[in-house]
Amino acid sequence: MTQSFYEFFCPVKLISGVAALEHVPYELSVRSASKPLIITDKGVRGAGLVDIALEAFAGGDLKVGAIYDDVPPDSSLDVVRRAAQLYRDKGCDSIIAIGGGSVIDTSKGVNILVSEGGDDLHQFSGAGNLKRPLKPFFVIPTTAGTGSEVTLVAVISDPEKGVKLPFTSHFLYPDAAIIDPRMTLTLPPHITAATAMDAMTHAIEAFTCMGKNPMSDAYALAAIKKISRNLIKVLDNPKDVAGRLELAEASTMAGVAFSNSMVGLVHSLGHSLGALCHLPHGVCMNLFLPYVLENNLDKIREPLAEILLALAGPEVYASTPADVRAEVAIAKIRDLRDDLHKRCNLPRTLQETGKVEQSQLEKLADMAINDGSIIYNPSQVSYEDALAVLKRAWG
Amino acid sequence: MSFNFLIRAGARLTMLLSKQRLAAKRAYVTAMLQVIGRALEAASQEDEVIRKEIAAFPENFLFEMKILPSGPSLALSKNARGEFDYLGYEPNRKPDLSLQFKHLNHAFMVLTFQEGTARSFTNDRVLVDGDVAYAVRLVRCLDRLETLILPKLLAQRALKAYPKVPLLEKVTGGARIYGRLALNFVR
Repeated sequence: MTQSFYEFFCPVKLISGVAALEHVPYELSVRSASKPLIITDKGVRGAGLVDIALEAFAGGDLKVGAIYDDVPPDSSLDVVRRAAQLYRDKGCDSIIAIGGGSVIDTSKGVNILVSEGGDDLHQFSGAGNLKRPLKPFFVIPTTAGTGSEVTLVAVISDPEKGVKLPFTSHFLYPDAAIIDPRMTLTLPPHITAATAMDAMTHAIEAFTCMGKNPMSDAYALAAIKKISRNLIKVLDNPKDVAGRLELAEASTMAGVAFSNSMVGLVHSLGHSLGALCHLPHGVCMNLFLPYVLENNLDKIREPLAEILLALAGPEVYASTPADVRAEVAIAKIRDLRDDLHKRCNLPRTLQETGKVEQSQLEKLADMAINDGSIIYNPSQVSYEDALAVLKRAWG
Repeated sequence: MSFNFLIRAGARLTMLLSKQRLAAKRAYVTAMLQVIGRALEAASQEDEVIRKEIAAFPENFLFEMKILPSGPSLALSKNARGEFDYLGYEPNRKPDLSLQFKHLNHAFMVLTFQEGTARSFTNDRVLVDGDVAYAVRLVRCLDRLETLILPKLLAQRALKAYPKVPLLEKVTGGARIYGRLALNFVR
């Protein structure tokens, strides 16, 4: 499965561990910035996470210019424009995103506007349409799942035209990602589980899809190992700081892996299900993962067998005959999902979500085969194949 | 002295050969893009599967495939009958979808079936400017075209997986496209 050509790039400085937030003032100062706009959402602010960050910044030479906390779960051009206006009104010189995927994507959009000028994001939509570095941009993730802190992509809705605008550019990479366990310590169990399975899926698809390469493989396997060792531990003891940090690091590592190898059919189906039935991304990933692995099994037997070592440890790996390791890996993923279902009701089938109608499966299959990630899936997926996976996932 | 002369002559010859190789590759890629453009036009008139894919594109949809930095390229636009028209010239507006090979050699590898279309995307040799969903449909059109008009042995090298197409469908489908291609050329 090792391919003869690959590209690998991750220019994001990772600042990870205990008291990581306290590094922000210094890291901004070396980029000649001292007056950041903080972009976040009401949930993150309400949970007191912005206050924790502000307290950590207090000892340094940093003055927060303003806080924009009105980012909705699906960000739009209007939100980006309003936040960019606040940045300009307050004379800010940098951006700190504190939140999950939507906050990070919004912040990337704001950075385009405040760096390039104007109010029109459309002209920068698409691949490679930014030609120069943007303003200093830091990300402090508050979930351990999306990996957006280490990706070069942003997706922002244009509600007027009813489309989602994709932005892809190396200049969209944040300058730094700050992984501090304090930021995920209060995540409720079902979000902890769903986001961890999001990261797990990023890592497994990075390791089994067409773009896998030696560098992304290393990150992916390490992420799978960290998640399998720590997810249940953290659910048992949510205040486990070391375990939380492991999950947050795993999420970032999985982000590095998939942004350099891309993802496949789990994401094609998950994007479609998320768009049509408004289910959280991590829930969709957890739901489809084993069904897609079974669908791809003929093409991914070898890497999937390797995953068993990271998933279940050396004893299980060594005692499992080589020719059934791939199947046992899928069985382990199913066991983990059963456990998560028992602990926090994370749905394992489309029926269990309670939000999907059987009549929607055909529409979902059609959407999935037109999703960009389908190109990177190791097996060819027709409409009939996608529908068959959906029917198996129905439950 | 004579040794240096030999080295210089060898270097000059290598450069000359390399330039000729590049010119030959450019000529091949230019010719193949024309063939693909015209074959897609013909297939859009003859093959129901491809017509169904094209139906999802808006009218006047403009598609371009080009080799960076300055061509060659092919362009197709969707007409009111829901078919592709092959444009034998560079379009004067921004295409709705542009697939851009980063280098002539990358296109050459795909067009000589050394590297499949999906692998070329995976290897980041192709930039997609436009809606990715349109790009996915276009790739399916190309896959279908290759399935019908190429011998299985060649098509297998271009595709991620060779689909189960009954022999009769392949033969008659391919013949209809070749026939239409010839007719379009005559016109």
